[in-house]
Amino acid sequence: MTTDIGSRIAIVGIGRALAHRDDAERKTPLQLGATAAAQALREAGIRRDQVGALFTGRTPQSYMVLQYNQSLLNELKIGPTFNTEVTAHGGGALGTLQLGALALHAGVIDYALCVTNEASGIWMDQVHSNAAWEGDLQFEAPYGASTPSLYAQFACRYMHEYGITPAMCAKVSVENRNWALHHPNAAMRGRGPITVEDVLASRMIASPLRLLDCAVWYPGGIATAMVLTRADRAKDHARATWLAGWGQCSTHEWVGERMNSWGYAPIENGPDLIGTGAGVSAQQAYAMSGLTPKDIDIAQSSAPFSFANLMMLEELGFCGRGEGGDFVVGGGIDFDGGLPFNTMGGYLSFGQVAQGLYNLHEVVQQMYGEAEGFQVPNVNAGIVHGHGGPLACHSVMIVSKEPVR
Amino acid sequence: MSEPSSMAVDWAAGLPLMAGPYFVGLYQPSPETVGFWDGVKHSELRLKYCAHCSRMLHPKRIICTDCGTTDLAWRTAKGLGQVYSFSEIHRAAAREFAASVPYTVGVVALAEGVHLFTRFIADPGPIVIGAPARVDFRVLEQGHLMPVFLVGAV
Repeated sequence: MTTDIGSRIAIVGIGRALAHRDDAERKTPLQLGATAAAQALREAGIRRDQVGALFTGRTPQSYMVLQYNQSLLNELKIGPTFNTEVTAHGGGALGTLQLGALALHAGVIDYALCVTNEASGIWMDQVHSNAAWEGDLQFEAPYGASTPSLYAQFACRYMHEYGITPAMCAKVSVENRNWALHHPNAAMRGRGPITVEDVLASRMIASPLRLLDCAVWYPGGIATAMVLTRADRAKDHARATWLAGWGQCSTHEWVGERMNSWGYAPIENGPDLIGTGAGVSAQQAYAMSGLTPKDIDIAQSSAPFSFANLMMLEELGFCGRGEGGDFVVGGGIDFDGGLPFNTMGGYLSFGQVAQGLYNLHEVVQQMYGEAEGFQVPNVNAGIVHGHGGPLACHSVMIVSKEPVR
Repeated sequence: MSEPSSMAVDWAAGLPLMAGPYFVGLYQPSPETVGFWDGVKHSELRLKYCAHCSRMLHPKRIICTDCGTTDLAWRTAKGLGQVYSFSEIHRAAAREFAASVPYTVGVVALAEGVHLFTRFIADPGPIVIGAPARVDFRVLEQGHLMPVFLVGAV
């Protein structure tokens, strides 16, 4: 695999629009997406006719139209020569940047605009509708499978095979909350800190997952936009952060199908419910960047349950397989002194919306020294994990303040 | 085996599926799974079978995962397996399931080497990883006749 694309592509404009479900005007994802895109283009200082590519993550569930990209480019009045939606569930958000980087590296465009947006928290009953998107309609949904119960299949095996305890998982919830307390837009900011005991005493949702093990749906909508360009043009822009390395790996669709799949990484030797495409993605990203987990100053994961964050800490290389529990209990992600992890509060306490490109936005803002929440000092390299479809599709992006190759 | 109720939805007829209160708009079942639902109607658990590889496959398979042939046949499984993973649901996925909580969904590892997502019923239980499970057919909350697995002594 060639890796000469690492550190050749830069983010030169970022934008984000955020709305709350109680706002006087109920915002649509298209409104938010257009607002964030305009902001990113303004920051990049480029004209509409310079946008060579438009890539969006999966169509917003709360704005289900065919050809969502056309609605967005029509609103922005841009005429991209390369234009598509990147699916792969939540993995598609970072996938938009990967596709943009490829197009830029190939020289077929000079600027790529990447947008993800969602306002399900304003327009939909996500608790009761989401299972219809996460489960197979013939072989899973009729059994009454809720979204947590689908992820819980992984939790059940992961905890069984590695001896992970509910208290270890709960530590993730506690530390995510500690970060959220510092973020003005975090869904759970007003709820105060929580303890491991609070998590273990919260009501059972789908065993072994209790309420405080679960992500909270963001009570509103968020759109995030990024403008990318090549190194030769990046110097013309006020500021830039660099796509040091990235990777992507999808393994299956539907949890039941995952157990009937094998023969490729990470399930070469047979089906299981413990290794995901995140580890494969992270290996690609580290190899492309030349960095190692020791070089990472900040990490974000889109894992929507506490146990899955332990899995992702392992797969992103911060500890060995099965060691996620010991890692966090030993202070690995402590707000005080640990790896800055899910620094807005994560899906568990900031809230889940729009595939998680706002996690990348957070890392870029931390690098700019403009964090909305707690400012982590000296952020030079960060890793962002995006995923979707009960641990089916994974993308990893390593960004750096300066080129690292 | 319990008697299929007259209330049961005929999957093989391809009725539209509601996921909770939401119409999802996909034709169900898909043509390649009609044989599975026809089997369920007759209290048989059918899997796909590749004669070239002598391998049983998940009922959704269109091609053999190993050799790629589309020449797959239906074959009735023993209906025996073990609990591979499970979750006891305390907050229902949709309104129809609310009266049933707590209920358990999970993955059963069939003796034929195929894994199915299913409903586990403790009979006599307990539902734990590795516990033996045997198929039964029940009309579940949304009115669909579904294969379920009774967990405990076989």
